[in-house]
Amino acid sequence: MTELEAGRAERLAPVRSGAALQRYRDVLIALIAFAVLASLPLFTGSKALLDFVIRCSAYGLFATSLNLLVGYTGLTSFGHGMFFGLGAYSFGLIMQKLGVPIPVAFVATLAITAAVAAVIGAICVRLKEIYFAFVTLAFQMLIHSTILSWASFTGGDQGLRGGIPRPAFLGINLANHVHLYIASCALLVLGLLAMRQIAQSPFGYTLRMIRDNAARASFLGIDVWRAKLTVFVLAALFASMGGMVMALFVSGAYPEFAYWTISGEGIFINMLGGVSTFLGPMVGTVLLLLLNDTVTRFTEYHGIVLGVVILFFALGLRKGLLDFVAEWFAQRRDAGEGR
Amino acid sequence: MTKTRTPGISRRSTLALMGAGAMSVAAPWVARAQAKTIKIGMPTILSGRVAQLGTSSRNAVMLEVEKVNAAGGLAGRQIEMVIRDSKGQPQEAARVARELVNTDGCELLLDGEASSGSFAVHEVARDLGVLCIHTCSEASSLTADPKQHIPNAFRCVRQGIHDSIVGGSYAASIAKAKGLKKWATCSPDYAYGRDTTGEFTLYLKRFAPDVEVISESWPKLFQPDYTEVVTKILQAKPQALYSCLWGGDLTSYIDQANIYAMFSQMEVFAVNMADYTALTVVKNLPKGIHSGNRYIKTFPTTPENAAWGDAYRAKYNEYPTNWSWQNATAVMFLAEAAKKANSADGKKLAEVLKGLTIKCPFGADGTVTMRGDDHTLVGYAIGWGTTIPQEPYVPEVKAGDWKTIFELEAEWKKSKGYT
Repeated sequence: MTELEAGRAERLAPVRSGAALQRYRDVLIALIAFAVLASLPLFTGSKALLDFVIRCSAYGLFATSLNLLVGYTGLTSFGHGMFFGLGAYSFGLIMQKLGVPIPVAFVATLAITAAVAAVIGAICVRLKEIYFAFVTLAFQMLIHSTILSWASFTGGDQGLRGGIPRPAFLGINLANHVHLYIASCALLVLGLLAMRQIAQSPFGYTLRMIRDNAARASFLGIDVWRAKLTVFVLAALFASMGGMVMALFVSGAYPEFAYWTISGEGIFINMLGGVSTFLGPMVGTVLLLLLNDTVTRFTEYHGIVLGVVILFFALGLRKGLLDFVAEWFAQRRDAGEGR
Repeated sequence: MTKTRTPGISRRSTLALMGAGAMSVAAPWVARAQAKTIKIGMPTILSGRVAQLGTSSRNAVMLEVEKVNAAGGLAGRQIEMVIRDSKGQPQEAARVARELVNTDGCELLLDGEASSGSFAVHEVARDLGVLCIHTCSEASSLTADPKQHIPNAFRCVRQGIHDSIVGGSYAASIAKAKGLKKWATCSPDYAYGRDTTGEFTLYLKRFAPDVEVISESWPKLFQPDYTEVVTKILQAKPQALYSCLWGGDLTSYIDQANIYAMFSQMEVFAVNMADYTALTVVKNLPKGIHSGNRYIKTFPTTPENAAWGDAYRAKYNEYPTNWSWQNATAVMFLAEAAKKANSADGKKLAEVLKGLTIKCPFGADGTVTMRGDDHTLVGYAIGWGTTIPQEPYVPEVKAGDWKTIFELEAEWKKSKGYT
């Protein structure tokens, strides 16, 4: 063993044994984050702040799930918004037509999403790069057009009307603003924790290997197609959860939820926040929504402002905000070690 | 080089700091002094493809609010409008509406959203219980469907079903007079296009039973090229064509169909033609296109209506749109209701608004009514006429008969299972 190899082995050993420790740390962080978010209504009466967090939950779940594809697997999907829309519509329709308890509708929606994602994924993940991007976009437009033309079932371009019934279950009444807020926070934290576990698991590292060199992964005996399909379905499930939170927030579902612009926003959020860190998309979500909410208060020319911001990130920082911060810390640490 | 500035806090910044301090101490007092004003929130579409309509809604509201404020305000309270862009996205419309009420302290809402956005704002009104007047959504189900009904929401907008009844009976009378039996339709492929065309042909056939639709075309919404649609219609050789294309779609369609001289080969009925946004944009407006009135200052033919159109034009240097008169009417309703209730409280206003009839330049007989049982606008000027290529564009409009509208509307509601 050379000195260099010995040094690496030393570094790797604690990483492996520390995997369980890191999991505990993640759970602890999630618990603290949830406690902080859930106690927010005790300190502030601002409904707008609670609304903001609910929307952050919806978009945050969606954008982070997109990052499982873009950042971790190298699959740039332009059609991820279809699952956001699918979640909102399935959940809304089940609640309106069947009147089942909310948890049943929730699980049924996830099952529907998984089935649809498996079929679409099986076709798409064989393709690479631009072909994958465009075929996912095509499927998104297919779902969007179906929603528009199947007016008797989906309400067409006017969306699901009449409100989504929200009967109380287990003492939770989602028609109550604070209850809805806490439920959204819980879904966000649980969703992020689950995605974090996926990203840090051996499967997550397999995805990174596929991203970096798919041929090599294949030669090592990994079934690349199956791994890609699995992550495609998993990401769809979390996007669908985001859609359900949004459907509950607006008490309806609208074709815009399944339009390509939602996918575009997801990509934009990932560019803003950064794709190389797990929380990058979450930071991007908060940034985008903050920007959107403040800029639209003052001007209707928000497109120009958002355009300038994205130019700044793309040309100025050349990466997302959290990527930039992480890199800056790494450089400082390296400089410190070198001293 | 001499240095004129000394380090530390300059006199200017000290003054600025003191000023800011004084402001922050005084702010609550200033706010209290203004508490007499009433804030009205309005989400509408100010960017994107239909921004022109949203802007014209804002213009009309501000024109009327100025008048109300000059006359003493809403039950003695000056109106302050808070108008925000929703980009035409329902989730944004819902967010903006909630923010207007929860954060900005708006006590009333004017909903300047079209189609899906209006249903999203409707849910916000249901949730927050705030008085909401829809001012732009023509979807009949918004008020006709009892599932949508809430005591605090009203609709001050023309309605698809009313247009179809009047259009159908007008077209039938022309069809009988000129012997137009073979018809074609060409409408945008989404719920509004499909529903409106379906209802129009239903009433056309009811009044003129021997009419036959021999060709249907459904171009995509915002389609740039209509060549295949135009040639398909020309090949079918119909005697008349119905279309509910609107805005930019209608104007590009007419410009492209002009190349094939389509308008000399058949009678054209385009319900959304008589709106200044379409009339003034078409390059060569053909003579004799039949159209429903959207907003036109020659109909109703009253000095009040003409004066209103001119005042709007003088202020904003453009003609009002269909959305303009609807938004203006909503403010007129609020002003009159506040006078009657002697209050600007949402609940009291809602009580008075039910069944309220007001004087209005856009009324068929000089008045319009907020019908009590389904909270929707009736009695507005509605009619059809034919175009000429220059002002006044639609010189004569044949008014629709509200008695027939009411009868057929009741029948339609029954057929839909609404009553």
